[in-house]
Amino acid sequence: MPTTDLLPADLVTRLERLELVTRKVFRGRMKGERRSHRKGQSVEFADFRNYVPGDDLRALDWNLYARLDRLIVKLFLEEEDLQLALLVDASPSMGFGEPTKLEFAKRVASALGFLGLARGDRVRVHTLAGKQSPPLRGRVSVPRLVEFLGGLAPEESTDLAEGVRRFCLNARGKGVVVLMSDLLDKQGYEQALRYLVAQRVDAYVLQVLSPEELDPAVVGDLRLVDCEDGDAAEVTVSGALLARYKRTVGAFTAGAQEFCGKRGMTHLLARSDDPVEDLVTRAFRKRGLVG
Amino acid sequence: MTEQLFRSALSPAAWALLACVPPAIFALYFLKLKRAPLEVPSTLLWSRAIEDLRVNSLWQRLRRSVLLLLQLLVVGLAMLALLRPGWQGQQLAGERVALVIDHSASMQATDGPAGVTRLAAAKARATELVEQLPSGASAMVVAFHDKARVVQELTDNRRRLREAIASIEPSARRTDVRGALELVEGLATTGQSKRRADTGPAIDAAGQPDPKAPPKPAATAGDAQRVTATAVLLSDGRFAPTEEFAAGGLEVVYLPMGRADTPNLAVTALETRAIEGTTRRTAYVEVANYTAKSVDAVVELRLDGALLDAQRLTVAADSAAGIAFPIGEPSPGTLEARLSKGTLAAAGDKLSVDDVAYAAINPLRRGKALLVTPGNVALEQALTTARAKLLAEVATLAADAADDASKVEGYDVVIYDRVAPKGAPRANAVYVGVLPPSAAWRERATKSPTVVAPRIIDWSRVDPLLASVELGNFDVVESLVVPPPAGGRTLVDAAEGPIVSIAPRDAFRDLVIGFAILVEQDGRVQRNTDWINRHSFPTFWLNVLEQFAARSSAESSAVRPGEVVELSPIAPSTTDLDVTLPSGAAERLARRAPDPFVLRSTDATGVYRIAEGGAADRRVAVNLFDPQESDVRQAAAGPGDGADEEAGTAAPLRLGDLLVAASEAGATVRVDAWKPLLVAALCLVVAEWWVYHRRIAA
Repeated sequence: MPTTDLLPADLVTRLERLELVTRKVFRGRMKGERRSHRKGQSVEFADFRNYVPGDDLRALDWNLYARLDRLIVKLFLEEEDLQLALLVDASPSMGFGEPTKLEFAKRVASALGFLGLARGDRVRVHTLAGKQSPPLRGRVSVPRLVEFLGGLAPEESTDLAEGVRRFCLNARGKGVVVLMSDLLDKQGYEQALRYLVAQRVDAYVLQVLSPEELDPAVVGDLRLVDCEDGDAAEVTVSGALLARYKRTVGAFTAGAQEFCGKRGMTHLLARSDDPVEDLVTRAFRKRGLVG
Repeated sequence: MTEQLFRSALSPAAWALLACVPPAIFALYFLKLKRAPLEVPSTLLWSRAIEDLRVNSLWQRLRRSVLLLLQLLVVGLAMLALLRPGWQGQQLAGERVALVIDHSASMQATDGPAGVTRLAAAKARATELVEQLPSGASAMVVAFHDKARVVQELTDNRRRLREAIASIEPSARRTDVRGALELVEGLATTGQSKRRADTGPAIDAAGQPDPKAPPKPAATAGDAQRVTATAVLLSDGRFAPTEEFAAGGLEVVYLPMGRADTPNLAVTALETRAIEGTTRRTAYVEVANYTAKSVDAVVELRLDGALLDAQRLTVAADSAAGIAFPIGEPSPGTLEARLSKGTLAAAGDKLSVDDVAYAAINPLRRGKALLVTPGNVALEQALTTARAKLLAEVATLAADAADDASKVEGYDVVIYDRVAPKGAPRANAVYVGVLPPSAAWRERATKSPTVVAPRIIDWSRVDPLLASVELGNFDVVESLVVPPPAGGRTLVDAAEGPIVSIAPRDAFRDLVIGFAILVEQDGRVQRNTDWINRHSFPTFWLNVLEQFAARSSAESSAVRPGEVVELSPIAPSTTDLDVTLPSGAAERLARRAPDPFVLRSTDATGVYRIAEGGAADRRVAVNLFDPQESDVRQAAAGPGDGADEEAGTAAPLRLGDLLVAASEAGATVRVDAWKPLLVAALCLVVAEWWVYHRRIAA
C-alpha cells in the first residue's frame, strides 16, 4: 500500500473499514459491488412482472406458470459499480494557508479516492482547469491516484462556473461528485453549483478555507492584493472591521450551505488545518458519503 | 464691540503663521496613507466587509473625520484663546476686598424677596461676590453693628470666606459704620496685615480689636507700603452720616440692602415713673410710625405675660406718639409693651425686634445714703426731710471712721462733710469743703488756692442736680476752687473759678462742693454760707439723693443691646450673681471683691433677671429704642445727592467728605475667558486621544 504524505498508512488503515455510499442509486458501467435499480442477474430477488416477448426465458418462473397458467418473469436486482468524481479547485487562491487549501483538498481527495478504489468503484480526479486523471478502478490504481494528485499544483486562474461546466460536459454517467474549492469566485459560486444540480449527481461541496481567511491576524493600514486578478482593496484594519469581516465570512459560508441544502447538495466547511482523517471518518460519514 | 470682545495677543505675522495651522492639519489628514501591501487569496470577502461600511458612508465618513474635527476644534480654541476674548464683567476689582457686612438690628427687616431678611440677602450677595472673586485676590469678612469684628482674615480660600459669611448672626444692636470702615482701612490697606494674615495667628474674633485705634505703624519700610483695598459695604444705610472719616487707601463700594418703602412700627420708649409723692406708677409708651400713612395702633401692656391694659392711639405718618398707662402699684416683674398683632399686620411691619419694649419693675428699695461728718445739723436736716425719706435712708458716720471700708460699703452715695477719706468709696460720693482723694482732682485744685467770698456768676441750670435750684441769692465766706478733671464738668462757676464740679469715677460720680456749709472756728460752729437759709438748700440735697441714691435703685430701661451693665451687689459679701438671659439661658457672674459685677452679654433685647444669693431678684431691661434702626426705610436718592436719580436708587452714603453712591454691583472689570478656553482645548485633546485609542483597540 502506498504510504505518501497524501495518504498516510494509519489513515489507510482506518479507511479500510469504510466504503463510499450514495443516497442515489446510479447506473454503473460495469458490474460492481453496488446494488442498482437495474434488474439484472444477481441472487437478490426484486419483483415479478408479466412476460413480454423478448424476455429472457431463463427468468420465467415456472412454478407460477404451473399454478396460474400465466407467464411471469422473475426480476433480480443488478449489482453495479459507482462513479466517484473528485473535482479539485487548483486555482491560485487555493495555494494559501498552512497547509495550503490545495494540499488539504488533495489529501481529502486521496482518502475519498482510496475508499472508492478499495471497493471497486470507478474514481476519476478532475481539476477546474480541465486537467483530469484517467478513470481509475480497483485497489491497484491507488498509486496512480496518489501520483496524479501529488502532481497537482496551483495553476492559472480559473473561473469556478466555467470549470464546473466543463466538467459536467465531459463527465458522462452519474455518480458521486465531490467539489473541493474555497468558492471564492467574484462571479459567484451559484452558477457553478447549478451546473452540478442539473447533472443530477450526488454532489458534495467541500468548502476549504484557511485559518487566515476565517480569522485573519492582520492589523493596521493595508493594501490587500487579490492573488488571482490583482485587484486591490485598501483597508484600515481595526477591531471593528475585523468583526465585520468575520461576520461577512460567516454570512458567506452560511449562504453557500443554504444554497446547497435547498438543492439537495451537501455542503461542508473545512479549515485547511483540520485533520483530514476526522473530516473523512466523521464529517463525511455524518453526511452519508462514507459508511 | 469687537474691540471690547477681543484683544489680540499676537502680531499680524504671528497670526498669519497661526492661520496656516488648520489647513496644514486638513492637508495632513487627507494625505494618502502609505499602506503595507498584503497578498490575500481573494479580496472578495474584504470587499464585502468594506462594502458594508460604505453602505453607511455618510456616517462612516463623519466617524472617520471625528479626529480631524477634534483637532481643528483644539486649534480653533487655542486661536480663540490667543484672541483674549473677554467682556465687561461685574466682578470686584482690587487685590484685596473686604466684605463689610452690617448685621445691626435694622438688617433683620424682612423686606427681601420671599420674606428673607436684609442680612440674609446681604450674606447671599457677599457669597456671590466671593464666587466672582478674581483668582489671586484675597478677601476678608468684617461684620459690624456698633462694634466691628473681623470674622475672617484676608485669605484667598473661598471656602473659609463662605463659612465666615454664613457664620454672621443677626443682632439687635445699633450701627457704627465708621468703626467698621476704620478697622478695614487699618487691616486691609497695610502690608503688615497681609503678612499677619498669612503667617500669624488669626485675630481672635471675640477679641474685638478696637475699631477706633489707628492702624499700627508698620515695623519696617517695606511693611509701610500701603495697598489699595476695596471695602464692599453691604448695609441698609440706616446709620447717621459719618463725620471725620478718612478713607485713606480704601475704596468703598456700597451695595444697599433693603427697600425704600419698607414699613415699620416701633415702640421707641417704655418707662415707668412714680407719681410724685406716692408709690403708684405710670408707664409711658411711645410708638413711632415709619410708614407713609397714619396708623391706629393698639398697644398692649403686659406684666409678666398677663395683660394689664391695652390702648389705642393714632400715630401720624413719620411721627411718634406717646401714651400713658396708669399701672398702680405693680408687683415686681417684667413690664412689656407690645404692638398688637392686628396693628402690625395692618401696617405691614417688617422688623419685629422693635415691636415690643421691656421695662423691669424691681422691688421697691429706697436708696441708701451715708453722711460722714464731724457734725452738721444743717445737712442732717436737709437730708431727712419728709420727701428725702421717701427717696433714701440716710445714715450718719462719725468722721474718725471715714476710712473704715466695711462701714462705708453698701451705700448708694457717701457724703463726706469736711472729711477727706484716704480712698474713694465704691459708691457715688459728695465732698463738701474737701477735695476727693484722687490725684486727678488734687493736681488741678492745688494750683488754685482757697478763695474768700467768691462771687457766684453762673451755674448749670440744665443739670438735674441743680434743677429748681436758685444759687444767686447767698454768699459764701470761703471756698476751694475745684476745677474738674478730664471728663468732668463745672456745675457752679464763681468769678474766681469753679466752686462746684462733678466728674465720673468708674461707674460712679464724684460731686465736689468747694465750700463747707458749717465750719468750726475757735471751738464754735459757724456758718460758712447763708445758703442753708434758702429754699434751694434742701432742694439741692433732695436732687442729690434723687440722682445719686434713688436713681441707682430705680429700674433702668435705658440699656441698649450690647451695652455693658454694672451691677452693684446688694450685700457687700456677694461674690457671684446668677443672670437669666431673655433666651432662658443662665449665666453666672463673678467679681473681684470691691468691683461691681459686669454683665456683658446683653446682645438680645428683653429682660435679664439677676438673682443674688438665690433670693433677691432684680431685673434689667434691654431695649433697642433707636429711631435710626427702627426706621428701616432705606433712604432714597434725592435730587441733590449726585447719584443716579432713578426711582428706587438708594441714597449715597456720606462718609466724612466722601460721598459713596449706591451701586448694584461691584466695579466693572474685564473678565478674560482665555483660561477656560485653554482648559476646554486640553479636554478636547484628551477626548481625541480617547477616540483614537478606542478606534484602534476596539
